[in-house]
This record gives sequence, C-alpha cells and structure tokens, in this order.
Amino acid sequence: MYNNLYNSQSVTESAKKLFKEERAKKRVDGWFLAREIVCDRQQEFEGLSKEMRAAKELEAIITHLPLSISDNAVFAGSQSDAFARSYALINPAFEVETFSGYCDPTAVYNDIEPNEEFTRERIDRVREYTKNTEYIRSLTAMYDKYEKYTEEVAFFIEQVTGHIIPDFRPALKYGIKPILEELEIKSNTETDETKKENFKALKTALNCAVILSGRYADIAAEKAENAAGEKKKQYLNLEKTLRKVPLYPCESLFEAIQSYMLLWEIMCLEQAPNPFAFSVGNADRIFEPYREKDNLSREDAAALLKHFLVFFNVGDRSWAISQNLIISGKDTAGSDLTNETSYALLDAYFDMNLPQPILSVKLHKSTPEKLYEELGRFFFSPGVLTPSLFNDDSVFAVLKNRGVETCDLADYSVAGCQEPLIMGRDNGNTTNSWLNMPKILELCLNGGKSMITGKTIEKSETKDNISLLRNIREIFYQACGHYTDIMCDAANAASAAVSELPVPFLSVFMGGVQTGYDMRDISHQGTKYNGSGCLIHGLSVLADSFIAIDRLLSERPQDADNLISALQNNFEGYEELHAFLKSCPKFGNNIASVDSEAAEIAAKVSDIVTSHKNYLGNPFRADWSSPTTHLTYGYWVAATPDGRKAREQLNYGVDPLYGDAASGMGFRMLSNMKLPFDKMDGGYASHLGIDPKYFTADTFEGKGADFAKRIIKPLFFNPELKDRVSPFYLYVNVTTPDTLRKVLAEPEKYAPSGVYIMRIHGTFVNFLDLSPAIQQDIIKRLDPGSTQM
Amino acid sequence: MELKIFQKGFNFSQDGPGNRLVYHLFGCNMHCPWCSNPEGMGCGGEYYTASPEQITEEALSCKAMFFENGGVTFTGGECTLQAEPLAETLKRLLDNNISTAIETNGTYKSFFKLIPLLDYIIMDFKHPDSDKHRKITGISNQIIKENIMLASNSGKELLIRIPLINGFNTDEKTIEEFLEFFQTVNKDNTRIELLKYHEYGKDKWKKCGLEYTVKDGFVSEEIRINFENKIKDIGHKTVRT
Repeated sequence: MYNNLYNSQSVTESAKKLFKEERAKKRVDGWFLAREIVCDRQQEFEGLSKEMRAAKELEAIITHLPLSISDNAVFAGSQSDAFARSYALINPAFEVETFSGYCDPTAVYNDIEPNEEFTRERIDRVREYTKNTEYIRSLTAMYDKYEKYTEEVAFFIEQVTGHIIPDFRPALKYGIKPILEELEIKSNTETDETKKENFKALKTALNCAVILSGRYADIAAEKAENAAGEKKKQYLNLEKTLRKVPLYPCESLFEAIQSYMLLWEIMCLEQAPNPFAFSVGNADRIFEPYREKDNLSREDAAALLKHFLVFFNVGDRSWAISQNLIISGKDTAGSDLTNETSYALLDAYFDMNLPQPILSVKLHKSTPEKLYEELGRFFFSPGVLTPSLFNDDSVFAVLKNRGVETCDLADYSVAGCQEPLIMGRDNGNTTNSWLNMPKILELCLNGGKSMITGKTIEKSETKDNISLLRNIREIFYQACGHYTDIMCDAANAASAAVSELPVPFLSVFMGGVQTGYDMRDISHQGTKYNGSGCLIHGLSVLADSFIAIDRLLSERPQDADNLISALQNNFEGYEELHAFLKSCPKFGNNIASVDSEAAEIAAKVSDIVTSHKNYLGNPFRADWSSPTTHLTYGYWVAATPDGRKAREQLNYGVDPLYGDAASGMGFRMLSNMKLPFDKMDGGYASHLGIDPKYFTADTFEGKGADFAKRIIKPLFFNPELKDRVSPFYLYVNVTTPDTLRKVLAEPEKYAPSGVYIMRIHGTFVNFLDLSPAIQQDIIKRLDPGSTQM
Repeated sequence: MELKIFQKGFNFSQDGPGNRLVYHLFGCNMHCPWCSNPEGMGCGGEYYTASPEQITEEALSCKAMFFENGGVTFTGGECTLQAEPLAETLKRLLDNNISTAIETNGTYKSFFKLIPLLDYIIMDFKHPDSDKHRKITGISNQIIKENIMLASNSGKELLIRIPLINGFNTDEKTIEEFLEFFQTVNKDNTRIELLKYHEYGKDKWKKCGLEYTVKDGFVSEEIRINFENKIKDIGHKTVRT
C-alpha cells in the first residue's frame, strides 16, 4: 500500500497501539501551554487589531507549542493539546445536583492538577490573565445580569465555541497556497480598512499551517535519521508529505488525511481549551476522490482511516467529545452518494470501536440495501458503537424552509450531536440558549415564584387557582414569549462576548476569504448562513401536564383547587390525586388528545423561538434536544401536573418521559410521527431502546436489513405521512437494562477491552467512562414497556 | 356490542403478514396447560372494552405502522368467542382497506361466516386424536378439523400452528396421525408451523393464582426438524415465523 511503504495489517496494528498510548495519558496539559504561550507574549500583541491579535496569538502557539510524533503514528498531528479534561458527561466528578453549566470559562483551570512542572503559581498566573480579558469580563457581566433566570434554569445561556463544520475541501484539492495568495491580493487591494486588516489577519492565521507542517517535517526528518530499514523510509515519506501538504494539492489519500489533520489541529488550538463539537462533515465525500486517485482497496483505505479516527481521541477518556463524522446521503437530484470510502470508514470504525469521533449516517428513500446490511454489525454487536441516523429527504425540506439554497443542501452535515449545519457556510451558534418549558409552567402556576427555593423569579399576576388552570395554555404561551425575549437578549450578549475572541484561521474555511469578516463578527455577517440555537426542553412533560389539568377540571373539579398545593408539596399528602394525574393519558401511546397537544406545543414554541432575532438579525433556531440537560434541568423543576415528582428528570428530546410509553414501540413511533418536524429547524433528539431479541436473522447483514425494514423505513420513509415532513433523526441503543447492569457489575467479563460503547444523546461514549447518574439514565430510558415490538 | 380486550400491541410477522396491531380478546373455551396468556382465559383477569368503531378508528390511526402488508390481527384467549362484535369489526376494517387476520383455536361452529371477512387465518391444531385433545384442552377436535378443511379450501391464506409439547403430541404415532390428517388438507394456500414449547407464560399463571402443571414440555430441535421434513415430504409447506 502507498508507495509500497505500508501494509494494511501493520497500519492497523500501529493504529491500535496509538490509541492505547493515547488512552494511557492521564494528563492533558497542552491547552494550558497554549494559553500560557499567549499570556507570556502579551506585550508583543499590544496595539494590534482584535483580528490580527488573534492571528498573532495563534502564530505564537503554533510556533512554540512542544510537538512530537509518536513511534506508532503513521501521520503527524494531534488535537490533544487543544482539549481539557473538563467535559461533564465523562467527568467522574459530575453530579446532577451540583452541575451549573459552563458559565465560568476559567473553571477549566481547576481541572488541571498542579504538580512539579505545572505548579499552582503557574496555573494561577494564566488564570488571572484570562480573567482580565475582555471576553471574560463581558461574559461574567452577562451571567451576573441574568443569574436569577439561569440559577434555577428558567433558561440557560452558553457562549458557543466549536460547533462548526469547516470546509477543508478546497484546501485539500488546491492546497492553501492559492488561498494565501488570494488573501495577499485582497489585503493589498481592499479599500475597506476593517476588511483589509481582516484579510491580513486571515493570511497570518492560515500561514500557521505552513509553520506547523514545517515543524512536523523537521521532527519526521530527525526520526528518519535515527531509524533504519522500513521505518526510516516511512519517516522520510512522512517528511516529504509534510513538506508538500497542506501548502500544495493532495494527490493521494495519505496526503489528504495528513493535510486534513494539520488543518484540524490548528483549528482546535485556535479555540483551546473549548473546541468541542467541531465536525468533520461528509467524510466519505471528502476523502473518496483521493482514495480513487490512489486506486486504494477498501481494506487499505480503512487501515489509513483507522489512524484518522484515533486522531480524534484525546487522553484517558477521549475528552474531545461530540466530534461528528458523517457518511452517505444523497445529492439534490436524489442520487445516492455512498461510495467505497463510506464502507472503508465503516470497516475502520467497526474494527477500532473507539469512543470518538461520533459516526452518523445519512439515509434517504433510495439508500442502497447494502448500506443497511453493513450497518447490522454495529447495531447488533454488544458494546460496539452505533451511528446516529439522519433522514436526508426530511432534512433537505427543513433546511430549504430555513432559507438554505438548493445548491448547499447536500453539504449539510451535523455539528455536535444532531444540529444540521451547512459545511463551511453556516455559523449556527447551536447551543447558545436553552429554554426550560416545565420550569416556566411551574412559575406560571406559582405566581412567578420557584416552588423549589421559594425565590421570586418574575412577579406575575395572581389569579384564583381554578381560573389559572382553566387558562393555563394562554398564560403559559404568554410567559414563554416573555422568558424567550429575555433569554434571547442574554444569548446575544453571550455571542457578543465570544466575538471578543475572533477566529481568523477558522474564518478562512467559513467564508471569511470571500466576505472579509470573521465568522464571530456580531456586526457583519462573515458566513453565508447564520443563526443562533435554542434547545427547548420538556415537550412531553408539558403536553401531559396540560392534558392532566384538563382531565382534572372535567372529571374531578372538586380537587382542582388542590392541584397547586399538591405540586408545592411534591404530592405528599395528595397521594390519591397523584395517582389520578399519573393515570391521565400520556404522550407516546398514540392517544390523539395528548399527541395533538404535544404537536401544538412543538409548533407554537418553535414559532416563538424562531420569531426572535440574534445579533445579526437572523432567527433563532428551534432545536428540540436535551443533551443530558433533561437530568440537570429536571433537577430544578418542581412537581408537575402530569404526576412527575420534583427534581425528577424531564423527558428526553421529543421522546415521552421514561416509563410513560408503556404500550410498546409501535405506538410510541406513531405518537412521534405526529410532531411538526418541519418546525424543528435547529434539529431534535430522539432515542429508541431496542431489545435485540426481536431481531432473529442469522447474520448481521440480515439483522441490519430487518432493522431497516422494521425501524428506519417506517419512521423515516413512511408513505402514510404523505406531504408531511417525516422524522429526520434517531439514535438507538440495542440492548436491555439487564445487560447493562451486568456490564457495570462485571466490566472485566463483559468489556475486557475496557471499552463498552453506548449512545447518550447525540454522541456515543464509553459506558464505563460515564458518571453514575448518566449510566443510570441510559438504563432507565431502556424501560421494557417502550421497547416491546 | 363491544369487544373485551386484555392486551394489545404491535407484532412483526408472527401474527400474520407484515407489522400488525394485535388485539388479545378476553376469554377462552380451552384451558391448555402450556398457555402463554393465561390472563386471557377469563378467570378474573382484567380487560377493557372497545366498540368496533373505536377499534377501527384506532387501527386507522395506526396505518403508518402497517408496513410490509401489515394490518390488524385478533387473537386471544379465543377471539371467536366474541364472534358478533368481532365480525362487525372485521367488516369495518375491510371497508377501510385494512388487512384482517385472526388466530383461532378453530372451535367456532359458524366459522364459515368469518372466513369472507379475513385476509389471513391462523389456526391452532394441538392434537389429531379427539380423545387426547379433549382430555388436555377440554374440547374435542372434530369441529377444529372441519374448520381447518373449510379454511384450507376457502382460497384464503392459512397458517396451521402446532405447539410441540413433550409428552403430549410429539411421539411417532401422533406425528403419523397429524400427517394423515394433513394429507386431506388443501396444500395450495396452507402453510404449517411447528412451535416448540416454551415457558414465557409460566410466571403469569402464578400471578393469576393458577397452578402451572406442565412438568417437562421441552422438545428438541431434532424432533421439530424431523417433523418438518415429514410435513414437507407429503407436499406441504412449512414456515417459521
């Protein structure tokens, strides 16, 4: 393979060793060094424009950061220096009770354990410097201003870093040389001073790729000097590759992967320590032209891609979470785009079974049967990763409705968990704001006062209990609009804070070369598409609550007056009323009244959200997902009229509350299909637990085909839905609660490799790395009632 | 006129073609000791009622899940004990282009009336010898044989199911008697399925306050395969769902 220097078996073996080496790293300190390099050189950057300062800071990091190439590496490059050991999901210190979101960007300095090299003084010095930056000052001011709302999560705000899909394709195809030349010309000829300065900064930032490849080439040359035989030849080849890419066009899969990794490394370092949820995009389409040029077999391509996948794993828990890689799908003419690299990537994923990067698969009505068959091994091998599934037919319709031009539709991909963005053209600020509908309902029912702490969040007009309940929908939607107004102001303030940290390198791959503006600019749109996300929580809890209130008023009017007291007392002393509320119809069982209620809420609240404008005047996007926040936000919500008790979790995404869809999967899917997916332009989350016993084919291929026939096609491509937009997202866990309890009890027996992969919202993770609260949530949501087929 | 239902849910391919909404109707005229749904036998179990209109409305709301030529199947208990509302429901479903099926023990005397209302028929046949059949189930098999003949000659798709129970119907003599009867059954639209004994319903018997009396009902795969081969040898099709 490849100039007769490698064979697929040895490349695979070295990829496995490289992963093992990475997982043995208990410290991830590179991000701190990067920040320290910037801190130490502050005087050099004084007087520079914001954009140029960011470019020069990046240049300093790329020039001075210690680099190495592992003996097990086939390629040069690492993203391990960009991430901290801080992501809550896989942080053993995470607890639902104490998690308060990511509102303090300097909290990351607590995640670095001082030692002789990284002393407390050294850490504190960089922390203090960071605290005094304009970014932190404006962010802190925003959080202080809105604290009464965020403290108990009526809504929450996040400054969005990462969460972008860069378009590296032109850089691979033509090299970055022509881009550097274009920027040089534009910085000389541009008459607008801001743009002129920006072009210069973008060029400085992009040139970091030349610096980085040069430094790695020198290391490869040094390693070649000290090596012999085949290894020497391989290092010489690596050096040659690094002297060529990313400056010049890639001519082979090897060069394309190498080039891509270097660009990715710089992109992440530019946002260290928070570059979470960058996504590769349509990986098979990116790399297929180069595999084809080489005429590499599926097996050989898979071997090289295994190293590409290992690259995304950082440290002992694969800390670089939520990086998404997507395959397959269709073009706008409806032709299937699955190619040989799609299958090579599947082979690489299956053989390596790594906790990152997340695999997603785009499907459509004409997806080849072969793809479904090849997916069978993922769904039906215990402890093996499973892909998220997207329905191109629906996503195209949703995005078109959002204003995406037809020529860009096929380039949508997924940033983070499930948020559809256009590769290289869309800054969606996807996790900017988070709306907690059940908390708003609680405040509506209690005069604006929290039933959890008694604090007044927002005074509201007091009504007698009965008229309050009779008019609850109107009161709720009005309040929802009010809280959304405030939330969007806060979210825009967070985006303004983030704009203090321009990203000239990333902007090169997001349209900045054309527009002359940074993609985080809040006054000028640097990307073709722009919006801000709002993750909306508690759909089924709210729908079930409205229906339970109706039933109470009509069937037990004598008890209606007691409802609010019952909620305030978490149903203590109101057990009979609680039993009645629990027995009312619940979403997820194909019951018309409550399913329509959920659909109406989803449509109305989506409209409320999308009617709000972000800092550039573009709409907020309605995203009905709750990435573990159904736990953390539920903790701040009192008992609700559906019978859910105080502090218990909310429903996940658009799914029924666990345990409520007791009539089996068929009914659950029918309820789900009634939701207005066309309104969910920011995406949504949905999970099905599937008991493998219902799939009895003898082979993985047969099971994969059955899975398509019985789950995917009825849900995604159901002819009965006619003109309505069908569901477009799904992830599954094919296992049972018993199996997972066994894995936890005897990990050595059930997961001898130490890796047992499960899905948790849009990402997959090593089940054994998760904090106990999240392990239990996964088990809970596999409740047998909802998994019966 | 309402149906008594003790359970409902979707099932793929086991209770008729495609994905089907299966209603378990309450009450049974047999008391097979291996029954996996003893709560449907009528001994104080819980049920709810639904009119033919309501069932039809629900089935229509489920149309999106009737993929692979699916539809509605009524089983039990014994669904034909509620023949009148059942027939009314089947008619309504057919009027709405929803595929209909029943799984029956074949004891309904006026079974011929239901046949035109069915797209697919599943009939259990437990033992070819009338006395032995009566001893275990409480009912002679004479009417069952007649109804199987009727169904097999009706032109409708027919699936005959035999539960294989060790000590009851898997000895060589009984198998020969089964085959003798099957020789007389129309082979064109008929398929035969052998179901190995299982104990999925065992715990339910205890919950119903009933004693589970089957001691050693398990049957080897070898017996099933041999029996299947003999059925094929006489020109019948076998199936495993």
